[in-house]
Amino acid sequence: MNAAEMAKAVREAKISAVEIAEGAIGRIRLIDSDVRALLTPLFERALEKAEEIDRKIELKQDPGPLAGVPVIVKDNLCMRGQVTTCGSRMLENWRPPYDASVVRFLEEAGAVILGKANMDEFAMGSSTENSAFFPTANPWDLERVPGGSSGGSAAAVACGYVPLALGSDTGGSIRQPAAFCGVYGLKPTYGLVSRFGLVAFASSLDQVGPFARSVEDLALAMNVLSKPDPADATSSWTTRPDYAAFLGRENLKGMKVGLVSEFEDYPVQSEITEALARVESILREAGAEFVPVSLPTTIEAGLPCYYILAPAEASSNLARYDGVRYGLSAEAESLMDLYMKTRGLGFGPEVKRRILTGTYVLSSGYYDAYYLVAQKARIRISREFRSAFEGADMILMPTTPTLPFRKGEHQDDPIQMYLSDVFTLPVNLAGLPGLSLNAGYSKSGLPVGVQFVGPKWGEGTLLAAAEAVERVLGKPTCAFGGEKA
Amino acid sequence: MPIGKDEILRIANLARLFVSEEEIGPLQRHLNGILEHFERLKELDLEGIDPFAFECDTAGSSRQDAVSVWPGREDVLAQAPNREGDFFRVPRILDESDEVHLDECR
Amino acid sequence: MRKPRTPVIGLEIHVQMKTESKLFCACSTDYIGAVPNTNVCPVCLGLPGALPVVNRKAVEYAVRTALALGARIGLSTRFHRKNYFYPDLPKAYQISQYDVPLAEGGRLPVGEEEKRKWIPITRLHLEEDAGKLVHSARDGRLGNSEYSLVDYNRGGVPLMEIVTEPELSTPSEARDFVSRLRQLVRFLGVSDGDMEKGSLRVDANVSLTDPQGGLGTKVEIKNMNSLRSLERALEFEIARQEECLERGEPIRQETRHWDDGKGLTRGIRGKEEAHDYRYFPDPDLPPLVLSEAFVEEQRRLLPELPWDLKERFVLQLGLSSEDASTLTELPGIARYFEGCVREGASPNRAANWIRTEVMRFLNEKKTSIENFPLSPEKLSRLLARIDKGQLSTTLAKTVFERMVTENLDEDEALEKAGAIAGKVSGDNLREMVKKVLEKEGPTVEEIKSGRDSKGKKRSFLCGLVMRESKGQADPAEVAKVLEDILDR
Repeated sequence: MNAAEMAKAVREAKISAVEIAEGAIGRIRLIDSDVRALLTPLFERALEKAEEIDRKIELKQDPGPLAGVPVIVKDNLCMRGQVTTCGSRMLENWRPPYDASVVRFLEEAGAVILGKANMDEFAMGSSTENSAFFPTANPWDLERVPGGSSGGSAAAVACGYVPLALGSDTGGSIRQPAAFCGVYGLKPTYGLVSRFGLVAFASSLDQVGPFARSVEDLALAMNVLSKPDPADATSSWTTRPDYAAFLGRENLKGMKVGLVSEFEDYPVQSEITEALARVESILREAGAEFVPVSLPTTIEAGLPCYYILAPAEASSNLARYDGVRYGLSAEAESLMDLYMKTRGLGFGPEVKRRILTGTYVLSSGYYDAYYLVAQKARIRISREFRSAFEGADMILMPTTPTLPFRKGEHQDDPIQMYLSDVFTLPVNLAGLPGLSLNAGYSKSGLPVGVQFVGPKWGEGTLLAAAEAVERVLGKPTCAFGGEKA
Repeated sequence: MPIGKDEILRIANLARLFVSEEEIGPLQRHLNGILEHFERLKELDLEGIDPFAFECDTAGSSRQDAVSVWPGREDVLAQAPNREGDFFRVPRILDESDEVHLDECR
Repeated sequence: MRKPRTPVIGLEIHVQMKTESKLFCACSTDYIGAVPNTNVCPVCLGLPGALPVVNRKAVEYAVRTALALGARIGLSTRFHRKNYFYPDLPKAYQISQYDVPLAEGGRLPVGEEEKRKWIPITRLHLEEDAGKLVHSARDGRLGNSEYSLVDYNRGGVPLMEIVTEPELSTPSEARDFVSRLRQLVRFLGVSDGDMEKGSLRVDANVSLTDPQGGLGTKVEIKNMNSLRSLERALEFEIARQEECLERGEPIRQETRHWDDGKGLTRGIRGKEEAHDYRYFPDPDLPPLVLSEAFVEEQRRLLPELPWDLKERFVLQLGLSSEDASTLTELPGIARYFEGCVREGASPNRAANWIRTEVMRFLNEKKTSIENFPLSPEKLSRLLARIDKGQLSTTLAKTVFERMVTENLDEDEALEKAGAIAGKVSGDNLREMVKKVLEKEGPTVEEIKSGRDSKGKKRSFLCGLVMRESKGQADPAEVAKVLEDILDR
């Protein structure tokens, strides 16, 4: 059952929220010792919440569009009183005294949060190996990574624990793990979903978004998540459409899909090229028209631009972890000692690399040469996308250049790991929506994803196109479907 | 001009981040790698681009001047690593200056 | 050619704004006397995930101040992060404005009339205040403390920072500038401007020109928490720099703390120039965009500025410059004065009474005009009685005293003071005058024979009558009756 079907069944009292929650918990207990998608299970709390939903049903009250739907949220989303670690020793025991807006939106809509998902520390990474606690495995091949940084959320949906999960995407952290785990992942337009209560990595790039195994569920999740939030000054006041209304289109006649000429030369694994071709023909079949578009510098400039700007913002966002108010605090003789030791002990290697890079590019004498140049490149990339969308309604492109890599494969060369995000991070730089969808499996049984990118507020188009593909290829299947469960 | 060991220590100090002797080498290589990658950007034509010209439809958003009392204060103080009554406690403050600490390091 | 060294002074002033809530969150700004860490929330504690949203009122207040100073308002400005680690800064950065401030330019007058000098303003910007540290040592000094305690109640309170061009040339000019600025923010109602409470904080940059008239090395002085200590600190610092230069020692570019008790400035160990604040635009806050209409609305809301008001008091109401200055020091006093004039009091008498009686009462009771028990209307009625000769000034003061201390209305106070004017009048008065004249035959004769050209003798007789009436006669009536009888 997908989320929409579950909510319908719960609202019609055909199944109880508690039964659904118990089923999900059972599956997690069965499988998660291998995959390790969850950092913190919240089973007891979840069962209580599920009971509340069932009581509402008994009282003929409407628990909301996600009535009884079990969800898992990434561990960088604050939940009042529940440990929120961000995958870091720094916040190992921290219990936020408030809820992230999106957590509130979910619970107000009747969702039952089953647990917090594993992630790369402070969302910095592309493999979930940077979690300070343990790595998560790819549900399709335990020797491989699930992608990251929202690897836990993607794996949870891929394993069928839950039909919906939340992740956050700063440079590809929803879309890349969605591709690696064979599920849908949507990174919304910047400003569409509130960031209040999302522990910041790079504020101008971060967005919260859903993972799902059906397009219908993505639309359902977007209807719940994308609300204007007065607590987030970057949350747009634009009126949100009903995302479900974009679904059920008979065909895609009139839709123009762009193919980026410059990407043709970029080395991409053959399975991905084949998947792109497969999706192209499905969309053509559905009536879409293909046009060449140009993003001349995006692929060249995106990576260096991102790896200046994101660390710059991160260096400032992560300065608050100083051992004074919350989180880890080292034994220290003096204030300076407290700062140096707490931060030295609390942050892992990747976080340290980014903090130092960010501090360097903002420091006196380097700001103009690095930060400002990167900011200009960012504007240029945005403009390239804008002109591309003058001739196209959306762009079809790879999510990643490779299939899921092996654990430890890139641990010695972080920059090699960064290349995993080469197709996703320009989308964050431009603040655009991106949707990664499964487009089949490799011969070795690994999922292959492709990416749709839209203009600002173009989520509806992406959903419509994804639905057309889903009609032909079917909904993504659960990993471990026939093995253990 | 590649970044040297001293520079790594200077930045680490600015970021209040203890780095061990073993960490310095890899950090140096990493930072130099990133900056080398960055050289590509310098070949781009970025003439005349206002670095902050990004579209922003939330410009000017603000809130009303209304007070509300937040009830979570005790939850925060209860988790303070070093609480003293109503306060957060910090150890002896020797010097707030960055340079002085570096001098001590050398 | 050798020129005398002249002091060059610039000021950097932080004004705490009187908004209800903080600059970026809904916590109260009322931190004085509050239990530590009570006016706090995820935003001003810098908890992970919390985000700032700017307080519209703080923007309005800052824009109004900038307009009053004649500054140019930036219609699209940005907030920056100023990054540094200190326990009173919960996010380890202060949200401030950097390359594009809210307002630039403008000026403020110092000195009176022909000596008036306009001091140019460089910029005005918005930023958040930091929390407060309490040091454990008995003397409260950082250097002697084993540990320190942090209170974030003040963290996030809105500040505007106002920076002047270095065009002040004496300590008294600097003092005058701050006093004028304080007066202005009080008139605008945007701050209480209280230096002792720290709602107005002044840092000064001082240097001396070299003998060729070139700029000298700048020294920053901090920690002056009254107008007087500002003036003293600058005097000390100028003298110190002069002596240094006389001895041929160079001036160190540094920050010095003013020690009010010892009356000297002292260099602090940390080197200010060592800071690398890594300013960059705060990605959590969209540009601060203001419409022309918003700015015009703020302009419309500006009250009459204190220096304009003062000029009007002098030119239209005929007050002395000194009276006008005193009355325009505080907006409440100025409004009270205008209230009295509106109720028909003579401007000079009202000014005189407010400067003496009213202000003495306020000082003694340590209260403000807003809590003064007499309305302008009541005071005007009392003053009118003096004008009409119904009350002597001395009696009026007694009545005033009873009205304000015992909270009596005018009639009750008059009665208690035994001073119902005109109680001895008409026929009674005529009888009384006749009796007095009978006893003073020789004086009456002298007057009648024309030997009282200056009227002194008549005054003498008047006084006798007033004494006889125990002050319960109206002096004007006494004079009239006396005249009447003598001239017959």
